[in-house]
Amino acid sequence: MFGRLTWDAIPFNQPIPLITSLVVLMALAVTAIWITRNGWWGYLWNEYFTSTDHKKIGIMYVVLALLMLVRGFADAIMMRAQQSLAIGNSQGYLPPEHYNQIFSAHGTIMIFFMAMPIIIGFMNFVVPLQLGVRDVAFPTLNNVSFWLSASGALLINVSLFVGEFARTGWLAFPPLSEKAFSPGVGVDYYLVALQISGVGTTLTAVNFVTTILKIRAPGMSYLRMPVFCWTSLASSLLMLAAFPVLTATLAMLMLDRYLGFHFFTNDGGGNSMLYMNLIWVWGHPEVYILVLPAFGIYSEVVSTFSGKPLFGYRSMIFATLAICILSFTVWLHHFFTMGAGADVNAVFGIASMLIGIPTGVKIYNWLFTMYGGRVRFTVPMHYAIGFMFTFVIGGLTGILLAMPPVDFVVHNSLFLVAHFHQVIIGGVVFAVMAGYTYWFPKAFGFTLDERLGKAVFWCWFIGFHLAFMPLYVLGLWGATRRMQHIPDPTWAPYLDVAFVGAAIIGLGIVLTVVQLLYSIKTRDQRRDVTGDPWDGRTLEWLTLSPPPHYNFAVLPDVHGEEAYWTRKQTAIKQDQLIAEPNYQPIEMPLHSPTGVIVAFFASVCGFAIIWYIWWLAILGLVGAFAVFVWYAWRDEHEHVIPLEEVIANARERRRIRKEHLHNLSQSV
Amino acid sequence: MSTVNEAPAVGLTHHGSEDTGLGNRGPQSKSIVVPYGFWLFVLSDMVLFSALFATYASLVHATDGGPAGHQLFHRSLVAVETGALLASSFVCGLAVIAAKQKNMLWTQVLLFATGLLGFVFLAIEIYEFRSMIAEGAPPQRSAFLSSFFTLVGCHGAHVTAGLLWLGTMMAQIWTKGFQPHVGRRLLCFSIFWHALDIIWVAIFTIVYLIGTLP
Amino acid sequence: MTDHENDLLDVAPGEPHSNILSESIAYVIGLGLAVILTGVSFWVASTASLWGPGVAVGLVVLAIAQMGVHLVFFLHVTSGPDNTNNVLALAFGVLIVFLVMVGTIWIMAHMNANMAPMPEMTNLQIQRG
Repeated sequence: MFGRLTWDAIPFNQPIPLITSLVVLMALAVTAIWITRNGWWGYLWNEYFTSTDHKKIGIMYVVLALLMLVRGFADAIMMRAQQSLAIGNSQGYLPPEHYNQIFSAHGTIMIFFMAMPIIIGFMNFVVPLQLGVRDVAFPTLNNVSFWLSASGALLINVSLFVGEFARTGWLAFPPLSEKAFSPGVGVDYYLVALQISGVGTTLTAVNFVTTILKIRAPGMSYLRMPVFCWTSLASSLLMLAAFPVLTATLAMLMLDRYLGFHFFTNDGGGNSMLYMNLIWVWGHPEVYILVLPAFGIYSEVVSTFSGKPLFGYRSMIFATLAICILSFTVWLHHFFTMGAGADVNAVFGIASMLIGIPTGVKIYNWLFTMYGGRVRFTVPMHYAIGFMFTFVIGGLTGILLAMPPVDFVVHNSLFLVAHFHQVIIGGVVFAVMAGYTYWFPKAFGFTLDERLGKAVFWCWFIGFHLAFMPLYVLGLWGATRRMQHIPDPTWAPYLDVAFVGAAIIGLGIVLTVVQLLYSIKTRDQRRDVTGDPWDGRTLEWLTLSPPPHYNFAVLPDVHGEEAYWTRKQTAIKQDQLIAEPNYQPIEMPLHSPTGVIVAFFASVCGFAIIWYIWWLAILGLVGAFAVFVWYAWRDEHEHVIPLEEVIANARERRRIRKEHLHNLSQSV
Repeated sequence: MSTVNEAPAVGLTHHGSEDTGLGNRGPQSKSIVVPYGFWLFVLSDMVLFSALFATYASLVHATDGGPAGHQLFHRSLVAVETGALLASSFVCGLAVIAAKQKNMLWTQVLLFATGLLGFVFLAIEIYEFRSMIAEGAPPQRSAFLSSFFTLVGCHGAHVTAGLLWLGTMMAQIWTKGFQPHVGRRLLCFSIFWHALDIIWVAIFTIVYLIGTLP
Repeated sequence: MTDHENDLLDVAPGEPHSNILSESIAYVIGLGLAVILTGVSFWVASTASLWGPGVAVGLVVLAIAQMGVHLVFFLHVTSGPDNTNNVLALAFGVLIVFLVMVGTIWIMAHMNANMAPMPEMTNLQIQRG
């Protein structure tokens, strides 16, 4: 009746997951009670959960990601603690079967449920505003995509207190991940959660490629798009191309586990090296999916806070597209040591070095943007400069790793771990923190506290270097990754420094929460009245903060690069706004519960598949299909924003802007 | 193009003087955007199949001492399957033309024929799978068979999903008539159906023909 | 919207955009070509009158040709300026398909070739019977 689900699935005899689960459940209960007592469920349901508004969906993605950051970081600090403690005779506090779940969960959560959602969240919020349009191409599909990601995240978290997680690392290599060697539910949780969220990501990719190519403000040709939109396009193209390979590969592993197929098994002719090959065909583009929008964020931040247009716009675009294509030609560098031979290794090694060139072009472009500009050292700029320093070093270690002979020495060592954390933290995390600070006022109408923001930056910057520089040394000395016990006591001081670094990063995360709460409490002191707190250059700063549901009363007419900047400068020079346009009532898509309901059925179906509860799995599938059909039958797709509301909002905006620009023109 | 001195007028001031229609005109209409998005999805599906094809090519000789393709496949059956799917694709195209003409009778007849031929294809495939399993060549027998059943079975699963979608479309056209959003969905279905036939061309060539060469 | 502007708009993939007769004829031509190419494929695969190694290549060429027929006659993906986005997307897809397939096959062939011989493995084959 319940498949292989029994009461044994709950970790009554394992204190750490048990206590964590209780704490999490209590936190959820407290939150639910707090929301209920304030009567906010209706608001949350109508304004957020069922919203088809790209801005709200973007915020939900970011919230999901930040919650998962906490979980992923908790795993990280547990690992650091274990490695500091388990030296010589001590076994630390985490037995191997538990430690293995923790490093697997850490990687899986950080990549799939922290980095991906947060990048997608930023793309969601910013891209339609920067393109000068009202929403993405497929708003309801956007909502569904979010909830499918949330469903995957939910399943991963459920694995903490019902069953176990995979012990196979964040990519679940066979043969260890096959049924013979991992008979429990852990790998199944991993596979099902990723398949569900993978569908969401593929749909997001379709949405954004379509939006960026087909839905832009009048006059915005390709070469007038902001760089963040170009990088979002490149990232979405990569998502579209790479995620199907992940889906196919994980599906094949599922077929092996569930139906006894022989794709990657040791017997029956299976070939586990094939899995490695295919998973990295996805895996390498994945990291560029994450880092390209991050580069886009830096482009926006650096040009805004240098007070100059981005240097080398066209070379930036060319570099972005080059990285996009090249990222599909380097994947073998993740398994140089698997035995493809010198010829194959050489080709992929050269390709891996080539891909560093367009990235270098970008770094130079950012530096030249700053040169001769009037740089304002705001919090986002701190992250941008910190990124340039950190990422370049991380990239250089990447070039080292791209050489097969070097890689043979340090593959899967802590050197590798340090490299990829350096590029991901220096590249993606810093960008996310910069973007968070930069676009927060646009989303919520007030800026974050600057001093606390700088404190957070220094925690991340110092913490990161303390946590990962020692790992390069250890890797060169032969320390393998994922070690539950440290055999060589001379490594201890380095691991202790790394632990301190992790603790400082933890402090940074705590301070981020403090900054948010404090900023909310004192928000009236930092209201973004004008909608343009940073003297921005792109179209999102044209709207008030937060923008109305429909973004723009009339889609802005675009006449050149940096559409908003030119328009603003003209208005300042002439001390008048453009002529008032011809307002019309606006049609916007209806909200829809489709996403929530489909994700509910997906979660039910997923849980049932994991625990072999076949009747429930079929019920879940049927339910999901029924929701699609029900949604497809609706006759009303849009609602109309009445003309009076459009005009009232627009005139209010013009009044505020006129005053603001008048002040600017007086001070010029 | 307005000059710098006068305040630019808002609204559509770009009437085709400086571009080829590739994006300067403002957001494009749903009738273009929806099928384009679906075309992108279909292309991503092709990448999924390419991963399965790559797997098949890597494992085609991994028979583990068990039966190989030339012992199991029957070209005559494949020829009938191919014919059925191709005819189905053709009839689907005619159905889209009928729908553009808003002809309810012909649209439903042609869509029904599309589904019928698709069902014939599926029936033959299921028959083939069952007989292979019965003769001791299930997907669990070897890596080759796992990859064969998955590649061809995935295509069959797409056909099955397509038939479910087709049935839903026929019902929707019947109850709602030829409204714009229904027409767009039908167009998306036809893109899907044609794409499945493209993948079948690759399958019958690589799996069944090349796979059974002497 | 004027007809001139209509011509400058993009066209949806799969969307025919002329009159009913020429649209139907396009499908008939497509069907005919596809039937011919399929028939030739089956013949090529079974005839002894072609040079052996060339047969597989020929079949692949015929398959690509037939895919082209489907794309042009059924999906109406052409090379006109209104179809640029559709063609670019297709080109990107084809590139990825090519990289994934050729890359995997090339890599796996080398991996398999470099596998050390494993005498005890061959016993499994005998055991399974």
